[in-house]
Amino acid sequence: MTSAVEFQNVSRHFGPVKAVDGVDLTIAEGSFFAMLGPSGSGKTTCLRLISGFEKPTGGAIRIFGEDVSATPPHLRNVNTVFQDYALFPHMNVRDNVAYGLMVKGMGRSQRHAKAEEMLALVKLDAYGDRKPAQLSGGQRQRVALARALVNEPRVLLLDEPLGALDLKLREAMQDELKALQMKLGLTFVFVTHDQHEALSMADSLAVFNEGRIAQIGTPQQIYDRPATRFVADFVGSSNVLPPELTRALGGPAEWASLRPEATRLAASGPVRGTVKALRYLGSGTRVVIEANGTEVAALVPAGQPVPEEGATTAFAFDPGALHLMGAN
Amino acid sequence: MTAPAILPARGLADRLTGLFWRHPRVLLALLLTPPLLWLGVVYLGSLAALLLQSFYAIDEFSGVVKEEFTLKTYGELLRPSNFDILVRTVIMAACVTLACAALAFPIAYYAARYARGHWKAAFYLGVMLPLWSSYLVKVYAWKLILAKEGIIGWAAERTHTSWIIDGLLSIPGLEGSSLSTSPLGTFAVFCYIWLPYMILPMQAALERVPTSMLEASADLGATRAQAFRTVVLPLALPGVIAGSIFTFSLTLGDYIIPQIIGNSANFIGMAVYQLQGTAGNIPLAAAFAVVPILIMLVYLALARRMGAFDAL
Repeated sequence: MTSAVEFQNVSRHFGPVKAVDGVDLTIAEGSFFAMLGPSGSGKTTCLRLISGFEKPTGGAIRIFGEDVSATPPHLRNVNTVFQDYALFPHMNVRDNVAYGLMVKGMGRSQRHAKAEEMLALVKLDAYGDRKPAQLSGGQRQRVALARALVNEPRVLLLDEPLGALDLKLREAMQDELKALQMKLGLTFVFVTHDQHEALSMADSLAVFNEGRIAQIGTPQQIYDRPATRFVADFVGSSNVLPPELTRALGGPAEWASLRPEATRLAASGPVRGTVKALRYLGSGTRVVIEANGTEVAALVPAGQPVPEEGATTAFAFDPGALHLMGAN
Repeated sequence: MTAPAILPARGLADRLTGLFWRHPRVLLALLLTPPLLWLGVVYLGSLAALLLQSFYAIDEFSGVVKEEFTLKTYGELLRPSNFDILVRTVIMAACVTLACAALAFPIAYYAARYARGHWKAAFYLGVMLPLWSSYLVKVYAWKLILAKEGIIGWAAERTHTSWIIDGLLSIPGLEGSSLSTSPLGTFAVFCYIWLPYMILPMQAALERVPTSMLEASADLGATRAQAFRTVVLPLALPGVIAGSIFTFSLTLGDYIIPQIIGNSANFIGMAVYQLQGTAGNIPLAAAFAVVPILIMLVYLALARRMGAFDAL
């Protein structure tokens, strides 16, 4: 398979700040690729390097095999859905969507027809005459999507596109985006700080930390076998066990990750701890136990007894659930 | 002891704040009454008086204002000698506005998009500083700069480019013995004096155009020129219009610059000054003064028609 986007040892330094530092990355054509990380981790800068709004201070970027280091944004066949949507407030929805075709010189009736087609695709057929200010956040998001897709880009870049939507709408849009990507067979590159969003939507994802890629792989690989403590903590909200605790639990003296849902409370076990906090989640209760100075979370499914705060308990897990991450 | 649910009022300020919270309109009335009185009586009132005067006419024999409604005074405006003044002033104001817009845009754009920290402070200082010194001093300074023996003439002579100035001064309508006695000089000084009033609103408008708009337009394939025409200019247009209202109306009303610089041809402001003073023809002075108001109203209506305020 061809790679849609390829980063070769790419860096973007702002003076002493290394926003992106030596990133190697390959995004396969037709994939839904997520860039996940906390704010300031370099994921958005990477996206802007692809669109051309940032220039790399080192390394090479290729889009479908072509080096783009000398290509300005308006000549790159990639389009972006901006975080704040960046719809033009003085144009109606139809002209917003048709903008890319207009600047490329397409005639009025033809570009309006194409814009209407795209608006139908995002289920906004009847909204062409409205101004962006008259739309809800979710509708604006769809307009931004239609405005990018109408140009038939080779790669679609999405910068936290769902960040401003409420939970219900966000979940609906996640499904819709995914369906749209499958239907169009387009390469989507998606930036998010929401691990659930990244895990549920992406075919593969890169986890960013401090300007570097901490791990790259499929959602399952990343969730089940985090490469570093950072990934385990950020992606899975996994328990990160220091070497002493791993050994006390019967493993080797290595750092290990243990998912809360694979951890259960037990009457007896090698390590006992005190219940520090309870958090009711609806589908279950998250019980935080302090054992040997480390906080370990266990997920107790709904319907099972939950200990009280301050109680002493042991905990158990399937041996396969313990993922080792080395001695340091 | 636990704290009370309602804290005791500490004095007059607390009681007043409470009063305003219970009756928001009281505060509004207190805030608005003085400025509304000022605006209503002093501004609009005197404007109405002016309008009224313009419908009176002067008795040609006695020189006394007859308080009868007539359109005779407005008819006098259309006399060739008076109409020339109107046309000359409007053309000058339009040229000054266009030149100020062209000069101001790059400066305002730089200040809004790129200047940070010290550079921003330097920008504000550079734009405001000329406003702090006396208007008359600046105009007289320009008279010297533009005079035949002034720095421009001197520099032109030394660089053997005097023929450019001579050529400009021989264009019909712009004649003069030097720049300071030519309408070109009047134009240059008007541009200099009013430029800050164009830069500041433009800069404020450009600052409100989010960077992501420019990025979106480039992302969708627009060149710089296309982005400027389709995104930057329409979004900054309210600021450009605001600035042009300043430069246009200030030029329409000014009576000092054309007196000191240029060929002493009459402008609206000068006509008003002479008519209400030496000539004692208040109605005609009022009629002259109404013209800029009408022109500005037409200008604003046109700008609105063209969608200049759609982005507000």
